[in-house]
Amino acid sequence: MGKQLTEMLKGTLEGIVLAILAGRSAYGYEITAWLRDQGFSDIAEGTVYALLVRIEQRGFVDVAKVPSEKGPPRKVYSLNPRGREHLQEFWRNWAFLAERLDHLHKGEQST
Amino acid sequence: MTPESTEEKSRYRRYLELFTGSLDDKKRYRQVKARMERLPGNYRTAYDALERYLMFFGRADGPLALEMYEDLADLFEQSAANATPIREVFGDDPVEFVEAFIQNYPVGRWMAKERERFTSAVARAAGEAERRAS
Repeated sequence: MGKQLTEMLKGTLEGIVLAILAGRSAYGYEITAWLRDQGFSDIAEGTVYALLVRIEQRGFVDVAKVPSEKGPPRKVYSLNPRGREHLQEFWRNWAFLAERLDHLHKGEQST
Repeated sequence: MTPESTEEKSRYRRYLELFTGSLDDKKRYRQVKARMERLPGNYRTAYDALERYLMFFGRADGPLALEMYEDLADLFEQSAANATPIREVFGDDPVEFVEAFIQNYPVGRWMAKERERFTSAVARAAGEAERRAS
């Protein structure tokens, strides 16, 4: 994963994680594993964890503690209505950005 | 978070804590220390380095700062239990991870407050009546 992609990902990681949680509840490690599967190989576990702490504090997710066979209890995160609202805002902004950049890209090609 | 803070404290205890600081906080901090001492060697080394770095930002006092250490303890225990490689926990740039992490706690907010002060000062210097909300 290139440096540029990592930088771009940083700005969108919150939206990505909210989108994952919109589909189903998950705990931190599952989210990181999913991101790696999708090719976001440079994402640090700690970075995802810090993000989860933040979205919990901002009230976007509900958290349930589930005992695990190894290690401390796992925190399972699920998106709540406030989180869904925030996710919708993210998609609106993303659509705007994608459309604008696409426009720029096409303009550049035609000159 | 422990529910101990809701307990009614004795008058003696409250008097004592004027001198010692919160004993509950100290106990929670010791618990985190004990948990981290049980980590496998390399996780322990990484945690010690992280703790040293965090101390630089100010005293780790108060329930919210303790929550930060407890959250970190959870992360490290979970990572050790899953055998997640240290590099995958911290990423290529450990400083970046820590900086993002501490923004969630008062340690980070202390710096955030200074940033806000700086931003306001620039806004005043720029002759703006009200600081732009960020």
